[in-house]
Amino acid sequence: EDALAQTSVSKEQIAHRRRLMDEWNAWRKRVENELAEERELAGLPPIDTREDEGVEVIE
Amino acid sequence: MRPILLQGHTRSLTQIKYNREGDLLFSSAKDHVVNVWFSHNGERLGTYNGHIGAVWTVDNITFFNSLSPSTCIAASKLLLSGSADNTAKLWDVRTGKCLHTWEFHTAVKRIAFSEDDTMALAVTEQQMGYQGAVAILKIDSVLETGEQDEPFVINPEPTKAVVAAWGYLNKYLIIGHKDGMISQYDWKTGQKLNSKHPHSDVITDLQMSPDRTYFVTSSKDKSAQLFESNTLNPLKKYVTDCPLISASITPIQDFIIVGGGQDAMQVAGTSRGKFECRFWHKILEEEVGRVKGHFGPINTIAVHPDGKSFSSGGEDGYIRVHHFDEDYFKFTYPEFQHIGA
Repeated sequence: EDALAQTSVSKEQIAHRRRLMDEWNAWRKRVENELAEERELAGLPPIDTREDEGVEVIE
Repeated sequence: MRPILLQGHTRSLTQIKYNREGDLLFSSAKDHVVNVWFSHNGERLGTYNGHIGAVWTVDNITFFNSLSPSTCIAASKLLLSGSADNTAKLWDVRTGKCLHTWEFHTAVKRIAFSEDDTMALAVTEQQMGYQGAVAILKIDSVLETGEQDEPFVINPEPTKAVVAAWGYLNKYLIIGHKDGMISQYDWKTGQKLNSKHPHSDVITDLQMSPDRTYFVTSSKDKSAQLFESNTLNPLKKYVTDCPLISASITPIQDFIIVGGGQDAMQVAGTSRGKFECRFWHKILEEEVGRVKGHFGPINTIAVHPDGKSFSSGGEDGYIRVHHFDEDYFKFTYPEFQHIGA
């Protein structure tokens, strides 16, 4: 029974964490879109956050 | 995760900053100098001599996404410092030469380049009949003409500004106040656009996320908090058991690193080497780890722009550079493992 109770607690915990992650990701999407639109309006290139940024490809 | 100890300052550290590439670490301290170090091995590259008081603040360009790539390249060669000698100085990073000095009536407590590197803000102290202020310095015109325009000055209210940063696209300034208030100011008109009062004590640090859409504050009220830049809406809160002096956002893992500590007087002899940088999960608001080592309060924390290491500067006069080990990058909550990172 104890083990069961613990499982249900951790299930709630998992659900809580999932919800926080989902909320965060949805918020990030919104502000990243806002920023992209404002940069475009200002005539600026989109932000490139890829790790290979700055690496020049020589062909 | 064996830290590298940078010994060179003879008094407390006040601020540390990585450059854009992350190969250099700049440090300001109460010993009147700014130092520059190689971040990978801790070797000291040079010292910027010229201030005649404690250096409270230093800035170089750290973000990847500035407005104009051409000015960024120039700015990575530039360094700004602010001091208790009532001046702000602009330095050539490579030669160590002071290119310009701005004089104020009071100490310069915080300095920060704008996103396009053409301007900077300088937070000046309130004392002896002078109101605390935020001055806007024109870096580009100083470099072009060698002469400075009279800086535009904002007088934040109702309590003085202690820390400040630029919003993305230089839309506004975000200011942290002595009484725990945060505010948004139009730097062109000096008008207050928005304010909130999330902290109950002085705000000690304010650092932007890499894209400046959100920022973290630390406070003597023992908490660090996360806010959306455009609205100042609160996003997250990290409640600790000690006064916080610095907080930084990590670019790889979703962490916040906070540091601080009681004044040395209050804990003398009992907690040698026990001052800790605490890692909090940025989104879940849970503490996930601690890194100890300093012999006094942690005054300043900075994360390498690639997210693979971080540094802390202490009241003890040392800078500790920590390179994260494998475990750090593998860290995840069990239930999120399948989501992939």
